[in-house]
Amino acid sequence: MSKLAGKNILITGASQGLGREMALRFAREGAAGLSLVARHIDQLNAVRDEVCEIVKNRIDPPSPSYGAASIVVIEADVSKPRDIERIVATTLAQFKGRLDVLVNNASTIGPAPMPNLLDYPVEDFREVIDTNLIGPFLLIKNALPAMIERGGSIINVTSDAGQIGYPGWGAYGISKFGLEGMSQTWASELQETNVRVNWVDPGNMNTAMHRAAEPEEDPTQWANPASVTDVFVFLASDESKNVTGKRFQAQEDWKAALMKGAAPSAP
Amino acid sequence: MRAPFTFTLPPELRAKEPPERRGIRRDQVHLLVIDRATGRIEDSRFDKIDAYLRENDLLVFNSSRTLPASLRGCAGGCGGAISRDPADAAAQSSLRAVGSPPEAALHAHGPCMEVRLAEHLPDGSWLALLLCEEGDPFGCGLRAGMEVEFAEGLAATVIARDENIPRLWRLRFSISGTELVDLIYRLGKPIRYEYVSAPWDLDYYQTVYAKEPGSAEMPSAGRAFSWKLLLDLKRRDIDSAYVVLHTGLSSYMDDELDARHPASEEEYFVSATTAEKINRSRSNGGRVIAVGTTVVRALESVVDVNGGLQETQGYTQLKIDCQHRLKAVDGLLTGLHEPEASHLDLLSAFLPAEQILAAYEEAIQRRYLWHEFGDLNLIL
Repeated sequence: MSKLAGKNILITGASQGLGREMALRFAREGAAGLSLVARHIDQLNAVRDEVCEIVKNRIDPPSPSYGAASIVVIEADVSKPRDIERIVATTLAQFKGRLDVLVNNASTIGPAPMPNLLDYPVEDFREVIDTNLIGPFLLIKNALPAMIERGGSIINVTSDAGQIGYPGWGAYGISKFGLEGMSQTWASELQETNVRVNWVDPGNMNTAMHRAAEPEEDPTQWANPASVTDVFVFLASDESKNVTGKRFQAQEDWKAALMKGAAPSAP
Repeated sequence: MRAPFTFTLPPELRAKEPPERRGIRRDQVHLLVIDRATGRIEDSRFDKIDAYLRENDLLVFNSSRTLPASLRGCAGGCGGAISRDPADAAAQSSLRAVGSPPEAALHAHGPCMEVRLAEHLPDGSWLALLLCEEGDPFGCGLRAGMEVEFAEGLAATVIARDENIPRLWRLRFSISGTELVDLIYRLGKPIRYEYVSAPWDLDYYQTVYAKEPGSAEMPSAGRAFSWKLLLDLKRRDIDSAYVVLHTGLSSYMDDELDARHPASEEEYFVSATTAEKINRSRSNGGRVIAVGTTVVRALESVVDVNGGLQETQGYTQLKIDCQHRLKAVDGLLTGLHEPEASHLDLLSAFLPAEQILAAYEEAIQRRYLWHEFGDLNLIL
């Protein structure tokens, strides 16, 4: 269980749901550094405590430093460009300029219940785009210098609403369409570097955000976010060092799809 | 020994805004190329820099990230610094906003001032320039023992005046490490000089490759590089390497002190990868081209007598002038410097003073722009 030994990883939206599960899983997989970002510091601190507990109990260390990890939690809002600059500067101060993995996981669905586009208030629309699309753009742009010399992995969390225009998923779906397009463009522009860019649709998950988006649905039919983290470990690890420009579906047989080349490549 | 670098810079040639706000791309600034062997001067444009570079050349950049190093604080009336428990800062940090807006959180018990962070010292304290907001910038009772209170619970104690650069004071903040970095980014603004037309966002003060936060001012010689240009150069086997040297202040707001600009101690880091690239480039017949005078200082501080480099970290006070024999660096990309600036002394390690002055006169005639948002000078 040391697929991520030595890796410094930044996760946005790390205080709950999938982001929290990734933080815990990455800690179990031996991550050397975790920078956990979210808007709510109390929840973040709780995740940090859980991560610290995991790190303390890591066994069978492959190196003397394996039992330790550098952990920083940052209260920030990725919809604010000034916060993005602070997130990256603070993370790189903690990790001494080295970042291996960036997971753009934070997102917002906007107003709940979600209005149709016809009724969508423009301010809410902007907030969703700022959080789900411009935030990841600026994070990649700011974090890239710390990855480009040694190589790195950027993982953007998308949704099936980024491929199908479901009624009622307005700004969220549009932001995810944008995120998928942006991921392709980044992957193309960085193809000759060692920085790889992939994006993952985790599928329906039983998270607070999803429950708020579809309050009339039975959340027990959706996956536990802890059960979809394998693909994120794969993409964060050196196992995926030759994989870039691919879309993954976490709840499908993504390994088989990758072998068959079914996941779409960047042009 | 100082070279006689005196010329008159017309005020309109101080770049007031970033190139992108002047209607050009960051890589479309002017480039004045000086041939060290012949003294020939050529007027070019930065995005054509590849015409002057060749296979196996290595560009060495300073990847230090610019801090928003200008903070506003007020002398505390009751003398008590607000402390935060740094106990868990070593291995894990929790960076939290207090929530109150900066202005509202200030208790202006004493005179308020701009605190310009200059340098992070090995013992964790900082050197800073303190500029009083009202009246004489140095005349509001600045003294050792003074407590300065900032917004969001940050405080600092003024420890002593710096012996080497007497306009600077040594401060110790109430928090340290990443917690302090986080608060500096919450509260600070980029240092801005009077010739800059507007309070541009911090983003304009960063190079595209900036990593570790720590510079008081942007290492601006590399500002014109875009990723596209860097990748194009890489395709032509002109590689890049990075050092870190956190820059201090370029001005102490004191003409006499600025004219002599005593060398401050600056922290540098040369990685094993960079040392290896430099050694390899030289053995392959390539030239090592420093992007910025900070890189010259870092590399010339660590090079051994045979011109070899290895991974090193430390502090340098090296002052480079016409007496200095360059061992690590063959060329330099730099901005255009003020008359009397100490950077001009450093340039005289590359070229005789007369050639530099001739080039600067040409730059003035061609209406080149000076300073961090201005045009560039390549010496090869």
